[in-house]
Amino acid sequence: MIASIAFRKFKALRNTRVALAPFNLVIGPNGSGKTSLIESVMRLKTLAKLPLATGAASRQRADGPAIEFNFAPPHEGITAQLGCVSDLVCDTLRIIPEEAAGWAALRDELADLRSYTLQPEALAGAAQRADGARLSSSGHNLAAVLAHLRSAAPAAFAGMRAELFRIVPEFAGLELVEEGGQVSFALQLTEGGQVPADELSQGTLCLVAVLALAFDPDPPRVLCIEEIDRGFHPRTLREVRDALYRLSHPRSAGLDRRPTQIITTTHSPYFIDLFRDHPDEIIISKKQGRAAQFSRLSDRADLGELLGEGSLGDMWFSGILGGVPEER
Amino acid sequence: MKLALLSESPADEAALRVLVAAVLGGQPQFVAPGYRARGWPNVAQLMPAVLRHLHFNTDADALVVVADADDTVVHDARHEAPGYFHPQCRLCQLRAVHRQTVKKLPPAQGRGRVVRAIGIAVPAIEAWYLCGRDPGVTEAAWIEGRVEGRAPYTRAELKLRVYGTDRPSLPHEIACALREVGRQRSDVRRLENDFPGFALLAADLRAWTPSANKR
Repeated sequence: MIASIAFRKFKALRNTRVALAPFNLVIGPNGSGKTSLIESVMRLKTLAKLPLATGAASRQRADGPAIEFNFAPPHEGITAQLGCVSDLVCDTLRIIPEEAAGWAALRDELADLRSYTLQPEALAGAAQRADGARLSSSGHNLAAVLAHLRSAAPAAFAGMRAELFRIVPEFAGLELVEEGGQVSFALQLTEGGQVPADELSQGTLCLVAVLALAFDPDPPRVLCIEEIDRGFHPRTLREVRDALYRLSHPRSAGLDRRPTQIITTTHSPYFIDLFRDHPDEIIISKKQGRAAQFSRLSDRADLGELLGEGSLGDMWFSGILGGVPEER
Repeated sequence: MKLALLSESPADEAALRVLVAAVLGGQPQFVAPGYRARGWPNVAQLMPAVLRHLHFNTDADALVVVADADDTVVHDARHEAPGYFHPQCRLCQLRAVHRQTVKKLPPAQGRGRVVRAIGIAVPAIEAWYLCGRDPGVTEAAWIEGRVEGRAPYTRAELKLRVYGTDRPSLPHEIACALREVGRQRSDVRRLENDFPGFALLAADLRAWTPSANKR
């Protein structure tokens, strides 16, 4: 979907470009532009809904803040430029060429970008039953999304439940309770009894949310998730990665559907370890002073030798790969 | 006999349980959950702690360890000479780790030491899975290819042949691993012949006797 993003003077991203793959795991220290990358994608979505900036007035100062998007086929001929009034705020969208024939179709696809920062407290709450078509960015309507999935796509709901109970075998049932237009959920214990959502562990709640996204029969074009490892035991991270691969590489899961481009971030060396076979999926954000640069792990010439010496996570932590906090 | 497994993934562990049982000719009791390493060199780094834990805190008799060789030196007959140690051979390294660790431990739990069975999959455990299905995949073919400066296959190709995708889900990976070792469980002689790194594991397992680790 999105082939690349170039940043100029936007927050910590002073002058850098990142090429995006179907799956992108962004790693780096705090304040190195990981969230800014996701914010830029969501800003593109917002501005694409508004009238485009046109004419000479829309052109940015040559050296001013800007973000430029290029797209994968069939939209490779269109460039989208976000114009920024400061290095924090972008408020106009211009496309090049201005009369691009494919813009209407691309704009429709850009409306289908989603970003998540899953909040366990929000995930556990009751939700309006009618609010279940799409998981909200914090996941506050998870119960409604589960209810919607159950009624609108029972096979997908059954698949999601089966996967959840396989990963967390102490549970054997998912109960949805509807009352007064609100819905809440609970998990039934294999040994009897049930645990209401607000008593579930944070990791279990996040797992339910990730699986709800992974089994959505109509997933978004681009899915951004901050801190994907949040709350998960390191041994469960493989299942989380697999759930995301189900979206980004549906054929690998035996699904005949359009892939969802994934952009996610982590600070977990254990999650990074899982990309030994696909180092091309790791983007490292390196920060020097206040400026950050993106690079692909697979761009390293000595990657083959490095992979023979140790785990990716350990190497990242050591600083060999870059993307670690500066020390004085 | 009670065994512990140290492996690199749940799929490896599931397959190794079958292969170990096939070699021993019966279903041993396994310590659960299995111990997990995050690839090399984490296997070697963890092994002393796992051995100490097993020795003092459990009634396990033995530890089974299997790691991938990747592109490292492959263990051969010369490495079996008394006192020989090849620093780039993972089997030599793991045997040394076991030797160095257990020799310092006093008797505990009614036994002298936790014995070991160590195997190295060349270049990866997926090659074992393909044994008997793909005659071009053998330890000898790998060594010969490396001598000629051209590996006959890559780890990624082996995974693709076993799983049909380069991004298998864990259940799919386990199902494929169990399917392949299930094909071999009734007779592991071909696996021992084509993969000396497995034959050494089998030899270690067969060397165990009820009195092997008694004081």
